[in-house]
Amino acid sequence: MTKLPILPTAIVGSYAMPPWLERLKGDYFARRISGRDLDEIYDTSVKAAIKDQETAGIDIVTDGEVRRDNMVDYFVERFPGIQIDRSSKKFYYDFYDSAIRNKLPMASLGLVPDFSFLRSFTDRAVKFCVTGPHCLTKRINNQFYPTEEAFAMDIARLMNLELKALVKAGAEIIQIDEPYYSGFPEDLAWGVNVINTLVEGVDANISVHICYGNRYGKPSWEGSYRYLFPTILGAKVHQLTLEFARRGGEDLDLFKEFDAPFDLGLGVIDVKTEDVESPELVATHIRKALEVMPAERISILTDCGCFHLPRDVAFAKMKAMVEGTRIVRKELGA
Amino acid sequence: MILKLNHLNQKATAATQAVVETIYSLVAEGLVDKGQFARLQIELDWIQYKHNFREVVIATQGYTGRDDVPPPIMDIHVDTRQVAAGSLRADLLRALKRADSELPNGDRIALEDFITMRRSIVWDFNRFYWRHLKAWEHASGQGYDQALPGGGSDGHNPLAIADDVLEFLNLLVGLQEKNQLPPEINLLEVGVGSGSRCAQWLDQFQEADRQRGTGFYPMVRFHMGDYSNDTLDKARPAVARHTEQCRFIPMDAINPIKALPQLRHKVMQVHLTNVYDNLPDEEVVRRDGKLYFVQVRAFVPAGEAQRLGAKYGVPQAQFRDRVLKMIEQGFDAFGGEECGVRFWQELWTAVRLEERLVRLEDLPEFPFPEGLDAGKLEDILQDAPTDFRFHLSSGALESFIHTLPLLHSSGYLQIFDIFVTDMAQYRTGFFGPGKLDGSLLNWVNGALLKEVAQREGYDVHFRPFKYRKETKTSILYTTRRE
Repeated sequence: MTKLPILPTAIVGSYAMPPWLERLKGDYFARRISGRDLDEIYDTSVKAAIKDQETAGIDIVTDGEVRRDNMVDYFVERFPGIQIDRSSKKFYYDFYDSAIRNKLPMASLGLVPDFSFLRSFTDRAVKFCVTGPHCLTKRINNQFYPTEEAFAMDIARLMNLELKALVKAGAEIIQIDEPYYSGFPEDLAWGVNVINTLVEGVDANISVHICYGNRYGKPSWEGSYRYLFPTILGAKVHQLTLEFARRGGEDLDLFKEFDAPFDLGLGVIDVKTEDVESPELVATHIRKALEVMPAERISILTDCGCFHLPRDVAFAKMKAMVEGTRIVRKELGA
Repeated sequence: MILKLNHLNQKATAATQAVVETIYSLVAEGLVDKGQFARLQIELDWIQYKHNFREVVIATQGYTGRDDVPPPIMDIHVDTRQVAAGSLRADLLRALKRADSELPNGDRIALEDFITMRRSIVWDFNRFYWRHLKAWEHASGQGYDQALPGGGSDGHNPLAIADDVLEFLNLLVGLQEKNQLPPEINLLEVGVGSGSRCAQWLDQFQEADRQRGTGFYPMVRFHMGDYSNDTLDKARPAVARHTEQCRFIPMDAINPIKALPQLRHKVMQVHLTNVYDNLPDEEVVRRDGKLYFVQVRAFVPAGEAQRLGAKYGVPQAQFRDRVLKMIEQGFDAFGGEECGVRFWQELWTAVRLEERLVRLEDLPEFPFPEGLDAGKLEDILQDAPTDFRFHLSSGALESFIHTLPLLHSSGYLQIFDIFVTDMAQYRTGFFGPGKLDGSLLNWVNGALLKEVAQREGYDVHFRPFKYRKETKTSILYTTRRE
């Protein structure tokens, strides 16, 4: 495992998606540029996202998810047996209308090359993010399985093989994104079972990211993380990554109340506003978290992906996050 | 020559025939040469508003800023609504000569240089009107509301408010059932004017809430926005019985979130009535795959300037300066408000706009409002007509973009206004600008707002305003796209 400093910093997954990339993807769909050109554009964009994270001082780097139109279609297009209505997508960020009409066949999703590309362009620790089965079942029209849970369980079995392939390729930190729990808290019990199937035998540091939605940079739901407890305690993962910057830190007490066995991925940057936080504000968020959990069990993150932020804003927010973390590290004598 | 009919009004049949006959006779007489004829495009409009900025016939040329490049476009616009028997020939000839720069500018007093529409002095007149509304109303003997086409604002319609209150209450009940009701129920109305709609809305909501026993009324925070504290002070008495619920927020309608940054993603409903149609706008022409911005120059015809000058003691040499001074400082130079307002009213009636078209790439600066650029616009226009003129609705678009971030995930934006809902409608009508009392009125390009909103994660819908017959108002509302 790559050695990390105390309070390691990372973005949740996606980095700022440049408008020109959105336009170029549109050009690809309109046959104005070739697939080869698009691949090169993606590669270059990933390198730029990595460089920005490194320059900002981020400890755990992602590929910025710049190859993904959104968190769903990147996977839906790779699943065997899922039928996609290509005409259903008018805008880059839209979700395809997709459906499952037969049992999901087991096959590779082909994520390893994207991970390997990330691995080869940075010496820092890297994180690879995947969208969780619960979220995917909410976007794919299920016309075969008797229940969403059954469908999600098959997705988990398939993705379990993929996660193992990622680990074999060198992945040490994997994040599972499940933003729809907050909109469908009644699904949580089976959602946790599905997560456990997904991560079974996967030898990596696994975190689950749960937020309140981030479509077009806007929250989808309101409420408290209290709905997660105690059910989430059954999840066999190492870390819960939650948003606290936008919503305030009240729910931090839940970790104390339930003596949660997880490490905490602490969201300290609000990605739904372009106002850049001060390092001192970031430090304040971290100090509050330290009241409920020791520094050794806390990672410092953005609330969610930076997908919808302008690049300069996302960069400034990352820098503030890093500088705020350094303030607290210094206070801790680390 | 291309002859384009931009309207569906049969009343203009005779005028249309007269235009064709007159053009042929001018060609036959050699007053229009074949070369000129070949590059002419004559557009026959029926301007929405009787009171507008157009002469009967105007020439609109392409402008490159270079003497060695001939104008790429040469259009003649005829307002078929104004065409008068006997004068068309002279009007056409004058416009053609002006296009060929044979006419000096002595027939008019320009109030500005050519400039993009949204920065034109006519918008200064518009702001001046709202600043001196009372004086205008006093002089004309009727209030602004009475000057509206329906004799009042559609936003105040009690049935429309009742339906809205009911829908809103149902939304809140639904959220409560899902345990998603926020602790405060924020609403925002931009452009509250007298406060009358806010008062009606709160009255009806309070009563409906009481009848259903839902208990939401105490949670309501109704943010009343308008451009100045003075205006808001005038609205306070109307909502005096809802003091606990109301907040008074001075704001620029073009940037609501600037005044309410703390309410990002927290507002359940934003309402505007007839605000967008009065925000600075400009027009764009799409021709042969190229985009041209319409630049305008406000002027007063020389005859009118002389008449006004003689009547109000304004020497012609000082005419422009005196007008600018009035807009900046008020009526002191006219020996008092009464005389000054009369001058202003007659002047406003006389103000006209001449136009020229400048290609996008020849413009001196980036011309698009926030939320739009040429690439996005080209995408949006993919399915639009290839040869047409449309509103950019710059002010409305900026206001829209700066309002959407306020919306709660279940909240919606509701706008009562005059919308062009489909780009193709621009080929069947000419939608402004017009004059309404001392203000300026423009239809709003709802089709463009819809496209921009979709790229921001919202779907936009239009529904007709069913509460008053023959109204041109429609309701734009947003729903969140997942």
